[in-house]
Amino acid sequence: MYELKTLRIGLAIYTALFIGFLYGPFIVMGILSFQNGPDGGPQFPIIEWSTFWYQHVLGFAPPSRVAPLPIGEALTRSLTLAFATMVVSTVLGTLTAQAFRTKFKGSGVVFYLVVLGMMVPGVLLGLGMALVADQMGVDRNWWSTAFVLHVVYTYPFAFLVMLAIFNRFDKSIEEAAWALGVPPGKTFRKVTFPIIFPGVLSAMLFALTLSYDEFPRTLFTGGSDVTMPIAIYGTFAVEIHPNLFAFGVLTTLFSFALLTVYGILMGLTVRRARASGIQEDI
Amino acid sequence: MMELIGLSKSFDSKPAIVDLSLRVEDDEYLTLLGPSGSGKSTLLRVLAGLERPEAGRIMLGDQDITARPTHLRGLGIVQQNYALFPHMTVEENVGFGLAHRAQDPVTDTAEVARRVAQTLELVGLLGLERRMVGQISGGQKQRVSLARTLITEPKVCLLDEPLGALDANLRERMTVELRKIRKALGVTFFHVTGNESEAIAMGDRMIVLDEGRAIQIAEPDTVFDAPATVRVARFLNAYNLLRGSVQGGTFESGEVRMPVPSGAQSLSCAAVRYDAVRVLRSGAEAEAGAPALHATFVASEFMGSKVVYFFRMADGGMFEVERHLSSSDPETYGEGEHVTLSWRMQDVLFFDANGDLIELAQAKGAA
Repeated sequence: MYELKTLRIGLAIYTALFIGFLYGPFIVMGILSFQNGPDGGPQFPIIEWSTFWYQHVLGFAPPSRVAPLPIGEALTRSLTLAFATMVVSTVLGTLTAQAFRTKFKGSGVVFYLVVLGMMVPGVLLGLGMALVADQMGVDRNWWSTAFVLHVVYTYPFAFLVMLAIFNRFDKSIEEAAWALGVPPGKTFRKVTFPIIFPGVLSAMLFALTLSYDEFPRTLFTGGSDVTMPIAIYGTFAVEIHPNLFAFGVLTTLFSFALLTVYGILMGLTVRRARASGIQEDI
Repeated sequence: MMELIGLSKSFDSKPAIVDLSLRVEDDEYLTLLGPSGSGKSTLLRVLAGLERPEAGRIMLGDQDITARPTHLRGLGIVQQNYALFPHMTVEENVGFGLAHRAQDPVTDTAEVARRVAQTLELVGLLGLERRMVGQISGGQKQRVSLARTLITEPKVCLLDEPLGALDANLRERMTVELRKIRKALGVTFFHVTGNESEAIAMGDRMIVLDEGRAIQIAEPDTVFDAPATVRVARFLNAYNLLRGSVQGGTFESGEVRMPVPSGAQSLSCAAVRYDAVRVLRSGAEAEAGAPALHATFVASEFMGSKVVYFFRMADGGMFEVERHLSSSDPETYGEGEHVTLSWRMQDVLFFDANGDLIELAQAKGAA
């Protein structure tokens, strides 16, 4: 009984520390983003509360000595790149996982080849890709060389998520559809896909977020038109102003909005699945 | 009519089906009895095209369907776990095959709805059309699964332990329903089960499958009265088996002595049905010439319409006796009470050294 209590206290402290480290930076950033502007700097104390830096990020603030963040185009690029990566990786990941449902020759080798994409250090992969591109005379661009590496990086994640989903999928449901005379292609669209859809959503979310803030691979292969993370990194070199923090808060809110949409979609499918007793053991 | 010719299938060189040949007639209820591991699920999967046989052919009418993909076979299959589409309503489940099949799909939604309603009425599910399949009971799921298959009008409907997951009460009702529905549609049912009473009660004909081989194909009463081999007799769960050998013209098994039927060279086993045995309390003597053995009472089990008594023989083996309460009142015995068990010679079945049944007529002639 006594030991259990110490264990509990230990775990509680551990959890508190964990949460502290997880949210601490964000809270500090959030507070500092309301610093007075344009004179206030990225440090405590808060001179005066204001939303100046938010206006600054969004381009409403009057011109001042602080240059606006060069993020307009970079943000569009990053979102486009993340979206394209998400689509390609999820489709590839789902198809590959589908292939792995039946044993085939060399499946072990193929598995490790796919997973290698997320194991190889990003800096090395980015550098290697840059060298290869230069050797072959291919221009480095965010939509070409960097896009390929983003897919190489996120595809294994989508694949692993879908592999786990298919592991729990009851194959006899598909067999029932075939036995009713429905061809395999249509069975996949009408039966398999709706059931694995929550998994597909997770895979999409993974690919999107991983690609959106991908740094090392893009640094070397993205070329002169930079993406969001690299644009932000670029501003560090000069001077840091709280407009960065304001932007950070805004993107975090955007991510939360995305997660909420994901949660709602997931909740809907799970509720439908529960209503239909997919978890019920027969 | 479906015909299986010399079907074989093995997994990792372990045979699951061995040279199986069988004719499935039109408009019949065929049951297949097999203990677990006998290859019955494999057989169904081979028939449905979900596994490929290594040898043999499957003919449906005059067409060879051995290599045809599942969705072009025109066979229905009702799975043991029902395998309903969890994201659809009852109605959508039932109409799914009709609307989306590759051959001759019904594109008119009104026609689909009409036939769905018709089929739901047939299986007694009217009023549940809009429920999700997670919101209905096990028995109802079973009916949806059946309706979903029947609506596509398969030539043969394969049922994989369709009653296995139902509780006893429901099972009894579905037994009757299934036969009724089959009769109404005139479709052939190929019903696979591990339950001997189900196989006997439901089939017009039954097949006994053992280690991938069909060891007896006959009408249920024939199988029950004259099991082709010792193993069939054991699956039926209605026979006491006495292993023994022929010693100087008599069959000896422990203390039991029985005359050898004429024409039999060697015997390995005798079988006596549970309900053909008389229990005599100590003191009472068996009829002269009737085989008998001494045993001690272990336990009894009251099963409503009958009582089953368990006795231990001198060699430690168990001997079961069944008494139907419609013909006599139950007896009570004290634990460890010594009794004599006796039966008539005409109720004994003999099996030769290979375990095959020795023809009944000869056995009777000898008695």
